[in-house]
Amino acid sequence: MDEEQEILVRLRRGDSSAMESVIKLHHSFLIAMAMPLVGPESADDVVQETWMKAFAAIGKFEGRSKLRTWLARIAINEAHAINRKRGREVSLENWGVDSGSPIGSRFNEKGAWEAPPSQWHYETPEALLTEAELYECIRKHLHKLPSDQQSVVMMRELGGLDCPEIAKALGLAEGNIRVLLHRGRQRMHAMLNHFEEDGTC
Amino acid sequence: MLTCRQMSELGSDIIDNHLSVRTRLSVFMHLHMCSRCKRYIKQLELTSQVLQQLPFKNEAVDSQSILNRLQAPD
Repeated sequence: MDEEQEILVRLRRGDSSAMESVIKLHHSFLIAMAMPLVGPESADDVVQETWMKAFAAIGKFEGRSKLRTWLARIAINEAHAINRKRGREVSLENWGVDSGSPIGSRFNEKGAWEAPPSQWHYETPEALLTEAELYECIRKHLHKLPSDQQSVVMMRELGGLDCPEIAKALGLAEGNIRVLLHRGRQRMHAMLNHFEEDGTC
Repeated sequence: MLTCRQMSELGSDIIDNHLSVRTRLSVFMHLHMCSRCKRYIKQLELTSQVLQQLPFKNEAVDSQSILNRLQAPD
């Protein structure tokens, strides 16, 4: 049984130390995800409601998605419920405007690589994540992404939501979501590439 | 014929398998002969996988007080 399965069994029994563990595992992620949807003053309320609903309904969670994905869906519903109650909409001004390629200068005028990416020391995500310094650097740069890219990367990669549901949650077209996701990944790739070349963040 | 710059723009559609049949063929042909783009696309995919597996654990979260608030009557 993997770690998540084991924790689910304990959650279904109402084990409070299991509840504490999942809160430590996912609370910061849920806050970061809720923030742009409801603003910083209400993100806490959204996530508190999310925990309430999640622990009450954990018996219905079938484990077809990751737990984090299921929690993310509850949080998005809660965020929309709070906005409806307050009669406001998600206002994401200037979201979805393409900032352009972050690696445009790496190509010559014919569109061929002038500064191609270097060979990396690690070839698997597990190997990359064993380096504590790199892990810190990834988290730091994730927070430095433009907020629309950050939000989409969080929902898609960390949260495991698909592009159509992210589009619905943010009120943007699916095409916009795909562009934002690509730009966010490109920036994170550039960060990893720099780390692999220089060994510094 | 796709340029390397165009390939880099298609990167996420390539790794997410979100290409039209015609573009897929051009991409395949480009990747077949361009080791630099092959590397870039592979690394972009690795970046995506790293993010998917990124733990976001925060030991500093006061889980006890969150639980207490859940259990407190309104």
